[in-house]
Amino acid sequence: MPPIIRTHDLRKTFRSPKRRPGVAGALRTLFSREYEDKVAVRDVTMELEPGELVGYIGPNGAGKSTTIKMLTGILVPTSGTIEVAGLVPSDRRNENARNIGVVFGQRSQLYWDLPLVESFELLRAIYSVPKDRYRANLQGFIEMLEMEPFLRTPVRQLSLGQRMRGDFAAAMLHNPRIVYLDEPTIGLDVVAKEAIREFVRHINQERGTTIILTTHDLADVERLCRRIILIDKGTIIYDGTVEHIKEQYGTHRTLVLTLTEPHPNPILEGAEIESNDRGLVRYRFDRRRARPDQLIREATQRYELRDVSIEEPDLESIIRRIYVEGYTQEPVNS
Amino acid sequence: MTLEPYLEFAKKAFAREATYRLEVFTEIGSLIVRVYLLRSVWTALYSQNIAPMNLPLHSMITYATVALLMSLILEVDGTRLIREKIREGTIATDLMKPISVPAYFFSDGFGQTGLHALLVIPSILFALLLVHIDVPSAPVFAAFLLSFAIGYLLNFFVNFVMNSIAFWTLETFAIQLIVRWVSDLLSGQIIPLTFFPGIFGRIVFALPFAAIYSTPLLIYVGVIQPHDYARYFLVQVLWLALFSALSLAMWRAAARRVVIQGG
Repeated sequence: MPPIIRTHDLRKTFRSPKRRPGVAGALRTLFSREYEDKVAVRDVTMELEPGELVGYIGPNGAGKSTTIKMLTGILVPTSGTIEVAGLVPSDRRNENARNIGVVFGQRSQLYWDLPLVESFELLRAIYSVPKDRYRANLQGFIEMLEMEPFLRTPVRQLSLGQRMRGDFAAAMLHNPRIVYLDEPTIGLDVVAKEAIREFVRHINQERGTTIILTTHDLADVERLCRRIILIDKGTIIYDGTVEHIKEQYGTHRTLVLTLTEPHPNPILEGAEIESNDRGLVRYRFDRRRARPDQLIREATQRYELRDVSIEEPDLESIIRRIYVEGYTQEPVNS
Repeated sequence: MTLEPYLEFAKKAFAREATYRLEVFTEIGSLIVRVYLLRSVWTALYSQNIAPMNLPLHSMITYATVALLMSLILEVDGTRLIREKIREGTIATDLMKPISVPAYFFSDGFGQTGLHALLVIPSILFALLLVHIDVPSAPVFAAFLLSFAIGYLLNFFVNFVMNSIAFWTLETFAIQLIVRWVSDLLSGQIIPLTFFPGIFGRIVFALPFAAIYSTPLLIYVGVIQPHDYARYFLVQVLWLALFSALSLAMWRAAARRVVIQGG
């Protein structure tokens, strides 16, 4: 099957008047014709197969939202090409709109003053969803997202978690082939996050919907995505599986010991002390150089232990390290 | 292009307006007070003989009352949504939908107007307790309605242009306030434009604002005679054509700005 989303050397440059500091600077800005160009997205090339669920990850200002906006067709690329389900989004905004669903964590597409269900009816009309399919979809969503209790409540009175569930349902009512989720779980509590992750997984698996998820919450990605694309300063720095990046960067483990008696410097051969807090000691070690069973044996010989555990690195700590150090094929071990 | 979404936008806007019940009732209340005040003012002024020849007191009171009833509909600014959406950044969400966004604004405004048009009925009944309104013959009334309809569309596009300025400045409140004051005065909503002397009279009749209030009102009270209807309609239609073209051009430029600069 051909890719459903394809971008080639996609680039977006924003032009803004050059700003100068201070009051005099502000006045000069008002009259000057000098501009500065900021490259938000630099030569992004990616391909997504139908039915993929990809995490699109990067720090603030990395170019995630700019990419998503270009994919939806509301932003025209400065150069490069995009094809979404065979269409160039910015040339065929309306047709493209029928293929896609969008959820922004920070903005709602629901109608503020109206009961939730009336926003759904409006969307049914906008996308000309056949009545029976609309009813089936809505019924399914109400059950999955437990929306029954607040279906008739005006949107402005909903809690953030309720509103987000409404927004998710709103984005999926017209059975879009592709869904863009931009920071969808921001500010949600654990229960709401879990409900939404479950919903995303369901939509992806049952309907085969292609999904791009941008998020800061790497737990979302770890739970949902097999593939991630990492972007930093507008450039893609990694495109591959979560497992691969974990294997590559996950050469370090953490050994956590709880000592019966606090010890000022409980050294272990082959591991370095990360922290030592009243007997709770965290060691970092390279699993290729030191073996955990030997470390534990050594620890039991030297100290009296109440508890022992070994932690694997999570995606979050790996990504944090990549942002700081940059991505290299063979990470240098520190 | 299917009409269904736009009918639905209008219905929802109607429902939304109806949720602000207090506003609806205060609107009728304030209208009644204004009818009473205008009757008093004009009666006092006419007793000082300041009236133009062709507008007797009963016509003047009819004019003022009908102008207030029209304002119930014309003062609904359906396009203020543009301004709000730009400020909140939600215009992007609308652009991601398979709809014509200007048509969406129009149907939303139309739905809001629908609710306020309903208020005209109780308002007339209350107004009739205070003042007597002349009722024109059926053909004249039909001409009035036609002229009013053109004025309504023109008013929409004038507002559209004003609110679209927000795409460049983000804030249009000051501009709108000034335009509102000027247009209230120059549209004939408060004072019939026939009161303006000499060259001023010529100027105010040549402005687009006259085509919103003045033309339908002067048709209603009979100052504009049937043999002049065609000429006045033509002027109204020309203004309408000009402002709808301007709206479209501004929308195109604004949309281009959004897609290039990201809003």
